[in-house]
Amino acid sequence: MSEFDAIVVGGGPAGTSAAMRLAANKLNVLLVEKADPPGSKNVSGGVLWGNSLSGVMPDWEKTAPLERYVKSKGIGFLTKDSSIDINFRSTKFNETKTGYTVLRTKLDQFLNKKAKDAGVTVVTGVTVDRLAFEGKKVVGVEQDGDIITSDAVILAEGANPRVAIDSGIRPPLKDEDVAIGVKEVIKLPEKTINDRFNLREKEGFAGEYVLGFLDGGVEAGGFLYTNKDSISLGVVISMKHLRENNKTYSYDIVEQFKNHPSIAPLLEDGKVDEYSARMVQEGGLASIPKLYGNGYMIAGDAAGFSFSNGLILQGMNYAIASGIAAADTVVEAKAGSGISEQSLSRYEEKLMNSFVLRDMHTFKGIGDITWGSLIHQKMPGVLEKVMLGLFMEDGEPKKHVNQIVKEALKSSGLKSSKLLLEGYRMYKRM
Amino acid sequence: MTLELVVLIKVVPDGKEVFVDPVNFTLNRSMATNVLNPADENALEAALKIKDEHGARITVMTMAPPFAEPFLLECMSRGADQAVLISDRAVAGSDTYPTSLTVAAAIKHLGKVDIVFAGEKTSDSSTGHVGPGVAEFLEAELATYSRSCRYEDGFVIAERELEEGVEVVKIPTPAVVTVITDSNNPRRATLRKKLNAQKKGIIVWSLQDVGLPSDWVGLRSSPTVVKKMLPFPAIERKGKVIALDMIDDFVKELVDSGIIKRGGN
Repeated sequence: MSEFDAIVVGGGPAGTSAAMRLAANKLNVLLVEKADPPGSKNVSGGVLWGNSLSGVMPDWEKTAPLERYVKSKGIGFLTKDSSIDINFRSTKFNETKTGYTVLRTKLDQFLNKKAKDAGVTVVTGVTVDRLAFEGKKVVGVEQDGDIITSDAVILAEGANPRVAIDSGIRPPLKDEDVAIGVKEVIKLPEKTINDRFNLREKEGFAGEYVLGFLDGGVEAGGFLYTNKDSISLGVVISMKHLRENNKTYSYDIVEQFKNHPSIAPLLEDGKVDEYSARMVQEGGLASIPKLYGNGYMIAGDAAGFSFSNGLILQGMNYAIASGIAAADTVVEAKAGSGISEQSLSRYEEKLMNSFVLRDMHTFKGIGDITWGSLIHQKMPGVLEKVMLGLFMEDGEPKKHVNQIVKEALKSSGLKSSKLLLEGYRMYKRM
Repeated sequence: MTLELVVLIKVVPDGKEVFVDPVNFTLNRSMATNVLNPADENALEAALKIKDEHGARITVMTMAPPFAEPFLLECMSRGADQAVLISDRAVAGSDTYPTSLTVAAAIKHLGKVDIVFAGEKTSDSSTGHVGPGVAEFLEAELATYSRSCRYEDGFVIAERELEEGVEVVKIPTPAVVTVITDSNNPRRATLRKKLNAQKKGIIVWSLQDVGLPSDWVGLRSSPTVVKKMLPFPAIERKGKVIALDMIDDFVKELVDSGIIKRGGN
């Protein structure tokens, strides 16, 4: 007999949700997290979108350490001198809270404590080496020569899925599937943040930016989220681009973003409290590994469940939903025919029926668009020219809008036929 | 008969995060996270090495509030067999004298003991008193500043690292050995041992359990009086750069500034 009904590897949102769900079904669960305390090795941009956490914690909005709810969502195109922003604010977000900014060090510690309270055996500060096999069946995990046995293992180890790779159940990550995220947390008084972002208490801002002004034409996306008394800010750069431009350093790009004339005033007098870097899986559907096998499932970032369409960047809600689906699959399998590759295949079915894999299918191929030169190199410049044409008073006779757009396109070297085609592609895929 | 080893540990604020308050010169520990005193990790490793070779039962012990529990479990996760937390409101404010007395009483309460290991000093107060103090109260032999030690038929053979050189001593058990920082590579905890430690838990003793009256300990029974603390003046570095191939210039510079002396002949 196994020592545990299930072992969960990784104490982030996916792992803790899975563990809590398993414990709620009276299963004997071990959760192993490498960081001690949990969350201390984590880097997340920090907006928890959606309501997935209610699946394991109905009162999470009251009890979890949330910073601010997203009242204002921004999308911006930045050129060297200008920014063209859309800032959507709605009182509708007061009633239906759609996203909360979070600091993962706090959130992960809270989730691990909740898992412990729910009866999960939580072990921190130790790294699992690999899955333990008996033939083709996973029978537990291996660490420093010892085998800890369990009927099922849920791998929720995050964006760098070392255990899965070392166990031979998924291929190593490819450059084109990976982006590097670099983040800083900048301390500022709560009131200063409220004033600068036009927010009231508990209201927050979440913005995504196309950085069209970087040295050497490097393509990167920026993000900026308000916490209670700090700002999380960072950039995401595709690994492929980083390798192609080997004079590019991720911290340089963060500096360039921070020093942009539209961003710098928001951060003025702030103190950098922490900085960190991590992998972001952006391979989309094509990079998703086999999600289950005889005795194991992969959930969260480890499975490549994250979503980015250029307007929004999400991961935690996919992590939580997939963790819960994996847990439910174990519960059902144990109540039915037992753990087998066949019974765990229900996991993929569950994901196909939920937003997790649906979104991945709906937006397959989005990476070609979000990491394209149209968005990063052409679009910001064209938009800037159009805006300057409309709003800059230079004493010349005024022009029609179509004339301004035409000239802006011309100077960017974009053919309108190509733009139409690219624009249509983008419109369809977003 | 199984060797009985005791390892004394202390939970201290992480030295990298402690700073001196510029106004009243007290230590500000509010920003610091707690860690295991660095030399104690080496003390535990020294005990584990003897256990590897001879087999032994290792008891880790500390006198602290309940927040020390995870650190005791961590020691068990590296290979200690049991952990004792001496926790009692009455010991609050104790200096190294009543602390040594209490720890020695707890060791006696354990029963037979062969070797007690302790760090050479703690990183937060640096007195190095408790190890020798415990030896005194136990009437045991003592080897301080040990960089390595082994056990041989009722004796401890310890290499003591002193300013003048290395001294090798052979002392009979029961003995207390204090271990210098970074003298070995502490092993890591394993998942299996962590699970076992969690399952087993720690032993908590009160002052009454170890058989000491409460008026022998605590702030009032501590002879140390801290009058005031002064900051250590920062040394301004000269920041002079000398090229690597100008080693003679470098040596001359050191001699001229009195950092090193020219040899006799």
